[in-house]
Amino acid sequence: MNIKTAFSVQETAERSVNDIARQFEMFDTEMVLFFSSTKYAPESISSLMQNAFPMAQVFGCTTAGEIASGKMLENSIVAMAFNGQAIKDAKIEVIENLHDENAVRAALESFGSYFNEPVADMDPATYVGIILVDGLSGAEEGLMETIGDLTNVTFIGGSAGDDLKFASTKVYAQGKSYSNAAVLAMLKPGVEFSFIKTQSFRDLGKSLEVTKAIEAQREVVEFNGKPAAVAYAEAVGTSVEEAAKHFMHNPVGLFIEDEPYVRSPQQIKGDSMLFYCSVMEGMELSLLEGTDMIGDTRQALELAKSELGSISGLVAFNCILRTLELRQNNLEQAYGELFANIPTVGFSSYGEEYIGHINQTATMLVFK
Amino acid sequence: MAGKIRQMIDSVINQRAKDNPMLERVIKTKLILKGINPNKYTLQSDDDPVVLGKLEKMIAELK
Repeated sequence: MNIKTAFSVQETAERSVNDIARQFEMFDTEMVLFFSSTKYAPESISSLMQNAFPMAQVFGCTTAGEIASGKMLENSIVAMAFNGQAIKDAKIEVIENLHDENAVRAALESFGSYFNEPVADMDPATYVGIILVDGLSGAEEGLMETIGDLTNVTFIGGSAGDDLKFASTKVYAQGKSYSNAAVLAMLKPGVEFSFIKTQSFRDLGKSLEVTKAIEAQREVVEFNGKPAAVAYAEAVGTSVEEAAKHFMHNPVGLFIEDEPYVRSPQQIKGDSMLFYCSVMEGMELSLLEGTDMIGDTRQALELAKSELGSISGLVAFNCILRTLELRQNNLEQAYGELFANIPTVGFSSYGEEYIGHINQTATMLVFK
Repeated sequence: MAGKIRQMIDSVINQRAKDNPMLERVIKTKLILKGINPNKYTLQSDDDPVVLGKLEKMIAELK
């Protein structure tokens, strides 16, 4: 076994970290990835985790709910330990100013120096990146765009949550805690790896072209030349006043090779609509309708398993809107059980990263 | 002027994907997420300076 998982729901951070450390005893831990409820003081949890594994590279973030093998949890900490066979080498960098492109470049150059290979030349079948971002920064698109311009290595991850308080989210690395920051980990796995991007929506065949937007504010002013809220409400078949009730079930998607990259509406502001990720002028979006999340996710997991032959570890970044929908439909247990036979850690995120920044999606890093 | 966007898109894809079809798909996805849909541009398309600026930045990052 090269990857181990653990979770703890003890009352205090100290007890939970001790509990996790006990579960990883006798394991040759080289790297630990952890996701933690804000129940555990963000100021101390990172140092407690690093101190528990002094010889390992330790990183993580706060959550809006956690996922462990077979379970969807709240008020817990979940962790995944990797030995040197699972991860041959890793380098972690923290970007402390998310709006500074030079800071992103410096982080990627550091990966190049560490692995003695320019990031632009790194083989995406040899390396993989994990990205954890402050979920309230609104900076994910720019960050992912710059990373994507600099390297072909896939970065997958999520935007940190804070148990739906929307006050402060944190990312953690090497014993420290950061806001308005991102943790990037460049991994050189010793095992095959793959990705899952799954969302449960079908195209309703109603096109909403963004004809006017304030991209930096994730605001769409007009769809199809009409006030955005009016055009959206018409497409859904409701009034502007009732439109927000449809947001979760009817987001919009940018289709690329028949695959939706979901953009979730957040609120109506005047006649405009605000989204949880950016939408650009000229983008042709499609109105979506929710489908069977349990069935779709099961299918995605089965496909990954059949492609890799087996799964030794899975890291899941599951949109909080998916979690809320599962909760609303009393399906959290059924969703957790999809991961019952897979060593899994994950969390409910305020946004998902895979190639770009997306919503209402589960992105997963899967190790053979 | 026309057609420069198509040429630059092809240049970005060729430089980055190096004939790897999987990478080609990923790079096209990155372009579309930036608001540049490669399928929309031909050698007859007008040279939109905003789109050209985005592509120039992408090419510059590769150097």
